[in-house]
Amino acid sequence: MLKSKKFFSAANRRDLFFPLILLAPALAVLLSLSIYPLIYSIAISLQYETANGLTWGVSNFGRLISDRFFQIAMLHTFVFAFFALLLEFSIGLGLALLLNTHIRGRGFVRAALLVPMMLPTVVVGVIWRLMLNPNFGAVNGTLKRFGLNTESLTWTASPRLAFGSVVLVDVWQWTPFVFLVLLAGLQAIPQEPYEAALIDGSSRWQTFRYVTLPLLKPAILIALLLRTMDLLRVFDQIFILTEGGPGFATETISLYIYRTAFRFFDFGYAAAMSFVLLAMTNVISTIYIRFLQTKEAR
Amino acid sequence: MKRLGKYIALFVAVLIAVAPVYWMLTISLKLEVDQFASPPAWFLFSPTVAHYTDAFVTRSFGQYLLTSAIVAIVSTISALVIGTLAAYSLARFHLPHNLDNKLSLWILSTRMFPAIVTAVPLFLMMRDLRLINTRLSLIIVYTGFNLPFVVWMMRGFFAELPRDLEEAALVDGDSRFGALWRVVLPLVAPGLAATAVFCLIVSWNEFLFALVLTQTDAAMTLPVGIAGRVTQYEIKWGVMSAAGAVALVPILAFALAVQKYLVRGLSLGAVKG
Repeated sequence: MLKSKKFFSAANRRDLFFPLILLAPALAVLLSLSIYPLIYSIAISLQYETANGLTWGVSNFGRLISDRFFQIAMLHTFVFAFFALLLEFSIGLGLALLLNTHIRGRGFVRAALLVPMMLPTVVVGVIWRLMLNPNFGAVNGTLKRFGLNTESLTWTASPRLAFGSVVLVDVWQWTPFVFLVLLAGLQAIPQEPYEAALIDGSSRWQTFRYVTLPLLKPAILIALLLRTMDLLRVFDQIFILTEGGPGFATETISLYIYRTAFRFFDFGYAAAMSFVLLAMTNVISTIYIRFLQTKEAR
Repeated sequence: MKRLGKYIALFVAVLIAVAPVYWMLTISLKLEVDQFASPPAWFLFSPTVAHYTDAFVTRSFGQYLLTSAIVAIVSTISALVIGTLAAYSLARFHLPHNLDNKLSLWILSTRMFPAIVTAVPLFLMMRDLRLINTRLSLIIVYTGFNLPFVVWMMRGFFAELPRDLEEAALVDGDSRFGALWRVVLPLVAPGLAATAVFCLIVSWNEFLFALVLTQTDAAMTLPVGIAGRVTQYEIKWGVMSAAGAVALVPILAFALAVQKYLVRGLSLGAVKG
Protein backbone atom coordinates (compact mmCIF):
# COMPACT_ATOMS: atom_id res chain seq x y z
CA MET A 1 0.00 0.00 0.00
CA LEU A 2 1.14 3.50 -0.80
CA LYS A 3 -0.09 4.72 2.56
CA SER A 4 2.40 2.74 4.57
CA LYS A 5 5.31 4.20 2.63
CA LYS A 6 5.03 7.53 4.34
CA PHE A 7 5.44 8.47 7.93
CA PHE A 8 2.12 10.07 8.62
CA SER A 9 -0.72 9.00 6.45
CA ALA A 10 -3.64 11.34 6.59
CA ALA A 11 -6.43 8.87 7.17
CA ASN A 12 -8.92 11.37 8.49
CA ARG A 13 -9.60 15.01 8.04
CA ARG A 14 -7.95 16.20 11.23
CA ASP A 15 -4.65 14.67 10.19
CA LEU A 16 -4.69 16.77 7.04
CA PHE A 17 -4.37 19.97 9.01
CA PHE A 18 -0.62 19.87 9.72
CA PRO A 19 0.60 18.94 6.20
CA LEU A 20 -1.71 21.49 4.58
CA ILE A 21 -0.59 24.29 6.91
CA LEU A 22 3.01 23.55 5.94
CA LEU A 23 2.12 23.65 2.25
CA ALA A 24 -0.08 26.73 2.33
CA PRO A 25 2.56 29.49 2.12
CA ALA A 26 4.36 27.83 -0.78
CA LEU A 27 1.15 27.27 -2.69
CA ALA A 28 0.08 30.87 -2.09
CA VAL A 29 3.39 32.20 -3.43
CA LEU A 30 3.35 29.95 -6.49
CA LEU A 31 -0.26 30.73 -7.28
CA SER A 32 0.36 34.47 -7.16
CA LEU A 33 3.76 34.46 -8.92
CA SER A 34 3.28 31.69 -11.49
CA ILE A 35 -0.36 30.93 -12.08
CA TYR A 36 -1.89 34.39 -11.70
CA PRO A 37 0.70 35.92 -14.09
CA LEU A 38 -0.16 33.24 -16.65
CA ILE A 39 -3.86 34.07 -16.41
CA TYR A 40 -3.03 37.78 -16.57
CA SER A 41 -0.93 37.05 -19.63
CA ILE A 42 -3.75 35.16 -21.34
CA ALA A 43 -6.03 38.13 -20.69
CA ILE A 44 -3.68 40.71 -22.19
CA SER A 45 -2.89 38.49 -25.18
CA LEU A 46 -6.59 38.43 -25.98
CA GLN A 47 -6.88 42.22 -26.05
CA TYR A 48 -5.82 44.48 -28.87
CA GLU A 49 -5.81 48.14 -29.79
CA THR A 50 -8.46 49.43 -32.18
CA ALA A 51 -9.69 52.90 -33.09
CA ASN A 52 -12.26 52.62 -30.30
CA GLY A 53 -9.80 51.50 -27.62
CA LEU A 54 -9.07 47.99 -26.39
CA THR A 55 -11.15 45.15 -27.79
CA TRP A 56 -11.22 41.44 -27.01
CA GLY A 57 -10.25 38.99 -29.74
CA VAL A 58 -7.59 36.69 -31.11
CA SER A 59 -5.99 39.27 -33.39
CA ASN A 60 -2.65 39.03 -31.54
CA PHE A 61 -2.48 35.33 -32.33
CA GLY A 62 -3.46 36.00 -35.92
CA ARG A 63 -0.49 38.32 -36.29
CA LEU A 64 1.88 35.46 -35.50
CA ILE A 65 1.11 33.83 -38.83
CA SER A 66 2.07 36.81 -40.95
CA ASP A 67 4.96 38.16 -38.83
CA ARG A 68 8.13 37.26 -40.67
CA PHE A 69 10.32 38.53 -37.81
CA PHE A 70 8.61 36.16 -35.41
CA GLN A 71 9.24 33.25 -37.74
CA ILE A 72 12.88 34.19 -38.26
CA ALA A 73 13.40 34.55 -34.50
CA MET A 74 11.81 31.15 -34.04
CA LEU A 75 14.09 29.62 -36.65
CA HIS A 76 17.14 31.26 -35.03
CA THR A 77 16.12 29.82 -31.66
CA PHE A 78 15.89 26.27 -33.02
CA VAL A 79 19.10 26.48 -35.04
CA PHE A 80 20.89 27.97 -32.03
CA ALA A 81 19.56 25.29 -29.68
CA PHE A 82 20.38 22.47 -32.11
CA PHE A 83 24.00 23.39 -32.74
CA ALA A 84 24.73 24.38 -29.16
CA LEU A 85 23.22 21.14 -27.86
CA LEU A 86 25.14 19.04 -30.40
CA LEU A 87 28.48 20.64 -29.50
CA GLU A 88 27.86 20.73 -25.75
CA PHE A 89 26.82 17.10 -25.71
CA SER A 90 29.68 15.72 -27.80
CA ILE A 91 32.40 17.73 -26.06
CA GLY A 92 30.84 17.15 -22.63
CA LEU A 93 30.62 13.38 -23.19
CA GLY A 94 34.19 13.26 -24.48
CA LEU A 95 35.52 15.11 -21.44
CA ALA A 96 33.47 12.98 -19.04
CA LEU A 97 34.83 9.77 -20.60
CA LEU A 98 38.36 11.16 -20.44
CA LEU A 99 38.03 12.12 -16.81
CA ASN A 100 36.33 8.89 -15.77
CA THR A 101 39.66 7.06 -16.10
CA HIS A 102 42.58 6.98 -13.75
CA ILE A 103 44.17 10.33 -14.14
CA ARG A 104 46.27 12.59 -12.02
CA GLY A 105 44.86 15.94 -10.88
CA ARG A 106 41.28 14.90 -11.58
CA GLY A 107 39.86 17.13 -8.82
CA PHE A 108 41.73 20.13 -10.15
CA VAL A 109 40.56 19.58 -13.73
CA ARG A 110 36.97 19.14 -12.58
CA ALA A 111 37.06 22.34 -10.49
CA ALA A 112 38.65 24.35 -13.30
CA LEU A 113 36.10 23.16 -15.84
CA LEU A 114 33.27 24.28 -13.57
CA VAL A 115 34.31 27.94 -13.64
CA PRO A 116 32.45 29.04 -16.80
CA MET A 117 29.04 27.72 -15.83
CA MET A 118 29.05 29.31 -12.37
CA LEU A 119 29.63 32.82 -13.75
CA PRO A 120 26.78 35.30 -14.07
CA THR A 121 25.74 35.19 -17.73
CA VAL A 122 26.20 38.96 -17.87
CA VAL A 123 29.85 38.53 -16.88
CA VAL A 124 30.19 35.81 -19.53
CA GLY A 125 28.90 38.36 -22.02
CA VAL A 126 31.47 40.92 -20.87
CA ILE A 127 34.30 38.39 -21.01
CA TRP A 128 33.50 37.43 -24.57
CA ARG A 129 32.99 41.01 -25.70
CA LEU A 130 36.57 41.49 -24.53
CA MET A 131 37.86 38.25 -26.04
CA LEU A 132 36.20 38.69 -29.43
CA ASN A 133 36.83 42.43 -29.90
CA PRO A 134 38.34 42.71 -33.39
CA ASN A 135 40.81 45.44 -32.38
CA PHE A 136 42.26 44.37 -29.06
CA GLY A 137 40.56 41.05 -28.26
CA ALA A 138 42.66 38.13 -27.11
CA VAL A 139 41.25 35.73 -29.72
CA ASN A 140 42.33 37.72 -32.75
CA GLY A 141 45.52 38.81 -31.01
CA THR A 142 46.50 35.20 -30.42
CA LEU A 143 45.54 34.10 -33.92
CA LYS A 144 47.64 36.93 -35.33
CA ARG A 145 50.61 35.68 -33.38
CA PHE A 146 50.34 32.38 -35.17
CA GLY A 147 50.50 34.29 -38.43
CA LEU A 148 46.83 34.18 -39.34
CA ASN A 149 45.15 37.06 -41.14
CA THR A 150 42.40 38.20 -38.80
CA GLU A 151 41.13 41.19 -40.75
CA SER A 152 37.87 39.52 -41.76
CA LEU A 153 37.30 37.98 -38.32
CA THR A 154 35.06 40.62 -36.79
CA TRP A 155 33.04 38.04 -34.81
CA THR A 156 29.97 39.59 -33.18
CA ALA A 157 30.06 42.59 -35.51
CA SER A 158 29.69 40.57 -38.70
CA PRO A 159 26.31 39.15 -39.71
CA ARG A 160 27.99 35.98 -40.92
CA LEU A 161 30.04 35.27 -37.81
CA ALA A 162 27.76 36.67 -35.12
CA PHE A 163 25.52 33.61 -35.00
CA GLY A 164 28.48 31.28 -34.70
CA SER A 165 29.91 33.52 -31.99
CA VAL A 166 26.84 33.33 -29.76
CA VAL A 167 26.69 29.54 -30.22
CA LEU A 168 30.36 29.23 -29.26
CA VAL A 169 29.95 31.40 -26.18
CA ASP A 170 27.06 29.24 -25.00
CA VAL A 171 29.12 26.12 -25.67
CA TRP A 172 31.95 27.63 -23.63
CA GLN A 173 29.68 28.33 -20.70
CA TRP A 174 27.49 25.23 -20.62
CA THR A 175 29.57 22.30 -21.87
CA PRO A 176 30.87 21.98 -18.28
CA PHE A 177 27.31 21.37 -17.10
CA VAL A 178 26.77 18.49 -19.52
CA PHE A 179 30.20 17.17 -18.62
CA LEU A 180 29.44 17.29 -14.89
CA VAL A 181 26.09 15.50 -15.11
CA LEU A 182 27.49 12.83 -17.44
CA LEU A 183 30.53 12.32 -15.22
CA ALA A 184 28.26 11.80 -12.22
CA GLY A 185 26.26 9.31 -14.30
CA LEU A 186 29.40 7.45 -15.36
CA GLN A 187 30.64 7.20 -11.81
CA ALA A 188 27.33 5.72 -10.68
CA ILE A 189 27.68 2.77 -13.09
CA PRO A 190 28.78 -0.36 -11.20
CA GLN A 191 31.87 -2.30 -12.17
CA GLU A 192 30.22 -5.71 -12.81
CA PRO A 193 28.81 -5.15 -16.31
CA TYR A 194 32.26 -4.04 -17.47
CA GLU A 195 33.85 -7.17 -16.05
CA ALA A 196 31.23 -9.27 -17.79
CA ALA A 197 31.91 -7.46 -21.06
CA LEU A 198 35.63 -8.07 -20.63
CA ILE A 199 35.10 -11.79 -20.10
CA ASP A 200 32.87 -11.94 -23.16
CA GLY A 201 35.73 -10.38 -25.10
CA SER A 202 33.80 -7.39 -26.43
CA SER A 203 35.72 -4.59 -28.08
CA ARG A 204 36.01 -1.12 -26.56
CA TRP A 205 33.40 0.24 -28.95
CA GLN A 206 31.03 -2.63 -28.14
CA THR A 207 31.51 -2.05 -24.41
CA PHE A 208 30.73 1.64 -24.89
CA ARG A 209 27.75 1.01 -27.15
CA TYR A 210 26.12 -1.85 -25.24
CA VAL A 211 27.20 -1.24 -21.64
CA THR A 212 28.09 2.41 -21.00
CA LEU A 213 25.53 4.10 -23.23
CA PRO A 214 22.40 2.26 -22.00
CA LEU A 215 23.39 2.67 -18.37
CA LEU A 216 24.18 6.34 -18.91
CA LYS A 217 20.85 7.03 -20.60
CA PRO A 218 19.05 8.60 -17.60
CA ALA A 219 21.92 11.05 -17.02
CA ILE A 220 22.08 11.83 -20.75
CA LEU A 221 18.35 12.54 -20.92
CA ILE A 222 18.43 14.79 -17.87
CA ALA A 223 21.40 16.77 -19.17
CA LEU A 224 19.73 17.14 -22.57
CA LEU A 225 16.35 18.07 -21.07
CA LEU A 226 17.73 20.82 -18.85
CA ARG A 227 19.99 22.19 -21.58
CA THR A 228 17.21 22.20 -24.17
CA MET A 229 14.90 24.14 -21.85
CA ASP A 230 17.63 26.71 -21.21
CA LEU A 231 18.65 26.99 -24.85
CA LEU A 232 15.12 27.59 -26.10
CA ARG A 233 14.72 30.56 -23.75
CA VAL A 234 18.23 31.96 -24.22
CA PHE A 235 18.39 35.69 -23.52
CA ASP A 236 21.16 37.07 -21.29
CA GLN A 237 24.29 36.17 -23.25
CA ILE A 238 22.91 37.25 -26.59
CA PHE A 239 21.52 40.48 -25.12
CA ILE A 240 25.01 41.43 -23.90
CA LEU A 241 26.97 40.11 -26.86
CA THR A 242 24.97 41.34 -29.84
CA GLU A 243 21.54 42.56 -28.67
CA GLY A 244 20.15 40.34 -31.40
CA GLY A 245 22.20 42.05 -34.08
CA PRO A 246 23.84 42.92 -36.27
CA GLY A 247 20.48 43.67 -37.85
CA PHE A 248 18.37 40.67 -36.93
CA ALA A 249 21.15 38.07 -37.27
CA THR A 250 21.12 36.70 -33.73
CA GLU A 251 17.59 37.61 -32.60
CA THR A 252 16.00 34.71 -30.73
CA ILE A 253 12.42 34.37 -29.58
CA SER A 254 13.07 35.62 -26.01
CA LEU A 255 14.84 38.71 -27.32
CA TYR A 256 12.06 39.41 -29.79
CA ILE A 257 9.44 39.10 -27.05
CA TYR A 258 11.49 41.40 -24.82
CA ARG A 259 11.81 43.98 -27.59
CA THR A 260 8.11 43.81 -28.41
CA ALA A 261 7.10 44.29 -24.78
CA PHE A 262 9.68 46.67 -23.38
CA ARG A 263 10.81 48.68 -26.42
CA PHE A 264 7.55 48.88 -28.39
CA PHE A 265 5.26 48.38 -25.35
CA ASP A 266 3.07 45.97 -27.29
CA PHE A 267 2.37 43.77 -24.29
CA GLY A 268 -0.55 41.90 -25.85
CA TYR A 269 1.45 40.67 -28.81
CA ALA A 270 4.43 39.85 -26.59
CA ALA A 271 2.16 37.76 -24.38
CA ALA A 272 0.76 35.93 -27.41
CA MET A 273 4.27 35.07 -28.59
CA SER A 274 5.30 33.94 -25.14
CA PHE A 275 2.52 31.35 -25.17
CA VAL A 276 3.96 29.85 -28.33
CA LEU A 277 7.31 29.59 -26.55
CA LEU A 278 5.65 28.08 -23.48
CA ALA A 279 3.74 25.52 -25.54
CA MET A 280 6.91 24.58 -27.38
CA THR A 281 8.99 24.04 -24.26
CA ASN A 282 6.11 22.09 -22.70
CA VAL A 283 5.83 19.69 -25.63
CA ILE A 284 9.58 19.14 -25.75
CA SER A 285 9.97 18.58 -22.01
CA THR A 286 7.02 16.17 -22.01
CA ILE A 287 8.70 14.11 -24.73
CA TYR A 288 11.94 13.97 -22.75
CA ILE A 289 10.17 13.01 -19.53
CA ARG A 290 8.26 10.24 -21.37
CA PHE A 291 11.56 8.82 -22.55
CA LEU A 292 12.99 9.09 -19.07
CA GLN A 293 10.07 7.26 -17.50
CA THR A 294 10.01 4.41 -20.02
CA LYS A 295 13.71 3.88 -19.46
CA GLU A 296 13.29 3.81 -15.72
CA ALA A 297 10.37 1.40 -15.87
CA ARG A 298 12.42 -1.27 -17.65
CA MET B 1 51.85 8.11 -25.92
CA LYS B 2 48.12 7.68 -25.51
CA ARG B 3 48.38 8.89 -21.94
CA LEU B 4 50.20 11.99 -23.10
CA GLY B 5 47.44 12.75 -25.59
CA LYS B 6 44.89 12.48 -22.81
CA TYR B 7 46.74 14.96 -20.64
CA ILE B 8 47.19 17.38 -23.53
CA ALA B 9 43.45 17.25 -24.28
CA LEU B 10 42.58 17.97 -20.66
CA PHE B 11 45.16 20.74 -20.47
CA VAL B 12 43.65 22.43 -23.50
CA ALA B 13 40.14 22.08 -22.02
CA VAL B 14 41.22 23.67 -18.74
CA LEU B 15 43.00 26.45 -20.61
CA ILE B 16 39.94 27.22 -22.72
CA ALA B 17 37.72 27.26 -19.61
CA VAL B 18 39.91 29.50 -17.48
CA ALA B 19 41.91 31.75 -19.82
CA PRO B 20 38.99 34.03 -20.84
CA VAL B 21 38.18 34.71 -17.18
CA TYR B 22 41.83 35.48 -16.51
CA TRP B 23 41.83 37.78 -19.54
CA MET B 24 39.00 39.84 -18.09
CA LEU B 25 40.86 40.09 -14.78
CA THR B 26 43.95 41.43 -16.56
CA ILE B 27 41.85 44.00 -18.43
CA SER B 28 40.41 45.20 -15.11
CA LEU B 29 43.96 45.76 -13.83
CA LYS B 30 45.45 47.33 -16.95
CA LEU B 31 45.93 50.97 -17.89
CA GLU B 32 44.14 51.82 -21.11
CA VAL B 33 47.40 51.78 -23.08
CA ASP B 34 47.95 48.16 -22.11
CA GLN B 35 44.33 47.17 -22.72
CA PHE B 36 44.66 47.95 -26.39
CA ALA B 37 48.16 46.51 -26.80
CA SER B 38 48.78 44.33 -29.81
CA PRO B 39 49.78 41.53 -29.48
CA PRO B 40 47.79 41.15 -26.26
CA ALA B 41 49.77 41.32 -23.00
CA TRP B 42 48.80 38.26 -20.94
CA PHE B 43 51.33 38.58 -18.15
CA LEU B 44 53.55 41.64 -18.45
CA PHE B 45 51.88 44.96 -17.68
CA SER B 46 51.95 47.43 -14.83
CA PRO B 47 48.81 46.79 -12.74
CA THR B 48 46.48 49.55 -11.52
CA VAL B 49 43.40 49.57 -9.31
CA ALA B 50 42.12 52.76 -10.93
CA HIS B 51 39.21 50.97 -12.64
CA TYR B 52 38.04 49.48 -9.36
CA THR B 53 37.96 52.83 -7.58
CA ASP B 54 36.39 54.38 -10.68
CA ALA B 55 33.60 51.77 -10.70
CA PHE B 56 32.89 51.46 -6.99
CA VAL B 57 33.76 54.92 -5.65
CA THR B 58 33.15 57.38 -8.49
CA ARG B 59 30.34 55.49 -10.22
CA SER B 60 27.35 53.75 -8.65
CA PHE B 61 28.60 50.16 -8.75
CA GLY B 62 28.92 50.13 -4.96
CA GLN B 63 25.19 50.75 -4.78
CA TYR B 64 24.41 48.00 -7.30
CA LEU B 65 26.56 45.64 -5.27
CA LEU B 66 24.62 46.45 -2.11
CA THR B 67 21.28 45.94 -3.90
CA SER B 68 22.44 42.61 -5.32
CA ALA B 69 23.51 41.43 -1.87
CA ILE B 70 20.29 42.52 -0.14
CA VAL B 71 18.02 41.05 -2.80
CA ALA B 72 19.94 37.76 -2.94
CA ILE B 73 20.05 37.28 0.83
CA VAL B 74 16.48 38.25 1.65
CA SER B 75 14.94 36.28 -1.23
CA THR B 76 17.03 33.23 -0.33
CA ILE B 77 15.91 33.29 3.27
CA SER B 78 12.23 33.64 2.40
CA ALA B 79 12.36 30.93 -0.29
CA LEU B 80 14.17 28.66 2.13
CA VAL B 81 11.65 29.08 4.96
CA ILE B 82 8.55 28.69 2.78
CA GLY B 83 10.03 25.95 0.62
CA THR B 84 11.42 23.81 3.43
CA LEU B 85 8.05 23.65 5.18
CA ALA B 86 6.36 22.59 1.95
CA ALA B 87 9.10 20.08 1.19
CA TYR B 88 8.74 18.44 4.58
CA SER B 89 5.01 18.15 4.07
CA LEU B 90 5.44 16.59 0.62
CA ALA B 91 8.19 14.22 1.76
CA ARG B 92 6.48 12.90 4.86
CA PHE B 93 2.71 13.04 4.46
CA HIS B 94 0.46 11.07 2.23
CA LEU B 95 -2.38 13.23 0.96
CA PRO B 96 -5.59 11.79 -0.46
CA HIS B 97 -5.85 11.14 -4.23
CA ASN B 98 -2.07 10.98 -4.51
CA LEU B 99 -2.16 14.76 -4.21
CA ASP B 100 1.33 14.96 -2.68
CA ASN B 101 2.99 13.57 -5.82
CA LYS B 102 0.82 15.62 -8.13
CA LEU B 103 1.63 18.80 -6.22
CA SER B 104 5.35 18.05 -6.34
CA LEU B 105 5.26 17.66 -10.11
CA TRP B 106 3.18 20.81 -10.51
CA ILE B 107 5.66 22.77 -8.39
CA LEU B 108 8.52 21.49 -10.53
CA SER B 109 6.69 22.45 -13.71
CA THR B 110 6.44 26.09 -12.62
CA ARG B 111 10.23 26.13 -12.57
CA MET B 112 10.29 25.07 -16.23
CA PHE B 113 8.47 28.21 -17.44
CA PRO B 114 10.74 30.28 -19.67
CA ALA B 115 11.49 33.48 -17.72
CA ILE B 116 10.27 35.79 -20.47
CA VAL B 117 6.78 34.21 -20.28
CA THR B 118 6.24 35.45 -16.73
CA ALA B 119 8.40 38.57 -17.09
CA VAL B 120 5.78 40.37 -19.19
CA PRO B 121 2.80 39.91 -16.81
CA LEU B 122 4.98 40.32 -13.70
CA PHE B 123 6.16 43.68 -15.00
CA LEU B 124 2.55 44.80 -15.49
CA MET B 125 1.54 43.47 -12.06
CA MET B 126 4.44 45.25 -10.35
CA ARG B 127 3.56 48.41 -12.24
CA ASP B 128 -0.01 48.20 -10.95
CA LEU B 129 1.34 47.74 -7.41
CA ARG B 130 3.75 50.66 -7.91
CA LEU B 131 6.70 48.40 -7.13
CA ILE B 132 8.76 49.05 -10.28
CA ASN B 133 12.29 50.20 -9.38
CA THR B 134 12.16 48.80 -5.87
CA ARG B 135 14.26 46.08 -4.28
CA LEU B 136 11.05 44.60 -2.89
CA SER B 137 9.83 43.68 -6.38
CA LEU B 138 13.00 41.68 -7.03
CA ILE B 139 12.85 40.02 -3.61
CA ILE B 140 9.27 38.90 -4.30
CA VAL B 141 10.02 37.62 -7.78
CA TYR B 142 13.22 35.77 -6.77
CA THR B 143 11.44 34.14 -3.85
CA GLY B 144 8.92 32.69 -6.26
CA PHE B 145 11.66 31.77 -8.71
CA ASN B 146 13.73 29.85 -6.13
CA LEU B 147 10.82 28.22 -4.35
CA PRO B 148 10.33 25.19 -6.66
CA PHE B 149 14.03 24.53 -6.47
CA VAL B 150 14.05 24.60 -2.67
CA VAL B 151 11.02 22.30 -2.51
CA TRP B 152 12.62 19.72 -4.80
CA MET B 153 16.04 19.78 -3.20
CA MET B 154 14.76 19.64 0.37
CA ARG B 155 12.15 17.01 -0.45
CA GLY B 156 15.01 14.79 -1.58
CA PHE B 157 17.03 15.45 1.57
CA PHE B 158 14.05 14.77 3.85
CA ALA B 159 13.18 11.56 2.01
CA GLU B 160 16.67 10.23 2.69
CA LEU B 161 16.23 10.50 6.46
CA PRO B 162 14.87 7.49 8.37
CA ARG B 163 11.45 8.07 9.91
CA ASP B 164 12.23 6.42 13.24
CA LEU B 165 13.77 9.64 14.54
CA GLU B 166 10.55 11.62 14.27
CA GLU B 167 8.52 8.71 15.55
CA ALA B 168 10.75 8.58 18.62
CA ALA B 169 10.38 12.34 19.14
CA LEU B 170 6.60 12.06 18.88
CA VAL B 171 6.55 9.20 21.37
CA ASP B 172 8.63 11.40 23.69
CA GLY B 173 5.80 13.91 23.58
CA ASP B 174 7.13 16.38 21.03
CA SER B 175 4.60 18.10 18.82
CA ARG B 176 4.87 17.47 15.08
CA PHE B 177 6.36 20.89 14.55
CA GLY B 178 8.71 20.30 17.49
CA ALA B 179 9.89 17.07 15.88
CA LEU B 180 10.61 18.92 12.65
CA TRP B 181 12.39 21.81 14.37
CA ARG B 182 14.45 19.96 16.97
CA VAL B 183 15.08 16.59 15.33
CA VAL B 184 14.78 16.76 11.56
CA LEU B 185 16.12 20.19 10.65
CA PRO B 186 19.51 19.76 12.37
CA LEU B 187 19.97 16.53 10.42
CA VAL B 188 19.33 18.13 7.04
CA ALA B 189 21.42 21.21 7.88
CA PRO B 190 24.14 20.42 5.29
CA GLY B 191 21.54 20.00 2.58
CA LEU B 192 19.81 23.17 3.71
CA ALA B 193 23.08 25.08 3.51
CA ALA B 194 23.82 23.76 0.03
CA THR B 195 20.32 24.66 -1.13
CA ALA B 196 20.75 28.17 0.31
CA VAL B 197 24.00 28.63 -1.59
CA PHE B 198 22.34 27.60 -4.85
CA CYS B 199 19.56 30.13 -4.29
CA LEU B 200 22.13 32.82 -3.57
CA ILE B 201 23.96 32.01 -6.81
CA VAL B 202 20.77 32.04 -8.89
CA SER B 203 19.57 35.34 -7.40
CA TRP B 204 23.00 36.93 -7.70
CA ASN B 205 23.30 35.94 -11.37
CA GLU B 206 19.71 36.60 -12.44
CA PHE B 207 19.42 39.13 -15.22
CA LEU B 208 16.13 39.22 -17.14
CA PHE B 209 13.72 40.03 -14.28
CA ALA B 210 16.17 42.56 -12.84
CA LEU B 211 16.46 44.23 -16.25
CA VAL B 212 12.69 44.42 -16.64
CA LEU B 213 11.86 45.52 -13.10
CA THR B 214 14.67 47.94 -12.23
CA GLN B 215 15.98 50.83 -14.28
CA THR B 216 17.17 53.35 -11.67
CA ASP B 217 20.56 53.49 -9.97
CA ALA B 218 18.90 53.08 -6.59
CA ALA B 219 17.22 49.79 -7.47
CA MET B 220 19.26 47.99 -10.12
CA THR B 221 21.42 44.97 -9.42
CA LEU B 222 25.04 44.45 -10.43
CA PRO B 223 24.27 42.47 -13.62
CA VAL B 224 21.89 45.18 -14.85
CA GLY B 225 24.44 47.86 -13.98
CA ILE B 226 27.13 46.04 -15.94
CA ALA B 227 24.82 45.40 -18.89
CA GLY B 228 23.87 49.08 -19.00
CA ARG B 229 27.51 49.94 -19.56
CA VAL B 230 28.13 47.26 -22.17
CA THR B 231 25.43 48.25 -24.57
CA GLN B 232 26.31 51.94 -24.64
CA TYR B 233 28.32 53.21 -27.58
CA GLU B 234 31.45 54.19 -25.75
CA ILE B 235 32.43 51.34 -23.51
CA LYS B 236 34.68 51.72 -20.46
CA TRP B 237 36.27 48.29 -20.69
CA GLY B 238 38.27 48.67 -17.49
CA VAL B 239 35.28 49.71 -15.38
CA MET B 240 33.15 46.91 -16.79
CA SER B 241 35.81 44.29 -16.20
CA ALA B 242 36.36 45.51 -12.65
CA ALA B 243 32.63 45.25 -11.93
CA GLY B 244 32.55 41.83 -13.59
CA ALA B 245 35.48 40.65 -11.49
CA VAL B 246 33.78 41.76 -8.28
CA ALA B 247 30.52 40.08 -9.38
CA LEU B 248 32.17 36.72 -9.79
CA VAL B 249 34.17 36.60 -6.55
CA PRO B 250 31.30 35.53 -4.23
CA ILE B 251 30.03 33.08 -6.86
CA LEU B 252 33.33 31.25 -7.12
CA ALA B 253 33.60 31.07 -3.33
CA PHE B 254 30.06 29.70 -3.10
CA ALA B 255 30.61 27.19 -5.87
CA LEU B 256 33.65 25.85 -4.08
CA ALA B 257 31.59 25.48 -0.93
CA VAL B 258 28.90 23.35 -2.58
CA GLN B 259 31.10 21.26 -4.91
CA LYS B 260 29.82 18.10 -3.24
CA TYR B 261 26.18 18.92 -4.03
CA LEU B 262 26.82 20.60 -7.37
CA VAL B 263 25.42 17.92 -9.66
CA ARG B 264 22.41 17.37 -7.49
CA GLY B 265 21.63 21.08 -7.31
CA LEU B 266 22.15 21.77 -10.99
CA SER B 267 19.94 18.89 -12.06
CA LEU B 268 17.15 19.90 -9.64
CA GLY B 269 17.85 16.81 -7.56
CA ALA B 270 17.44 14.45 -10.52
CA VAL B 271 21.04 13.17 -10.46
CA LYS B 272 22.58 12.39 -7.09
CA GLY B 273 26.24 13.03 -7.81
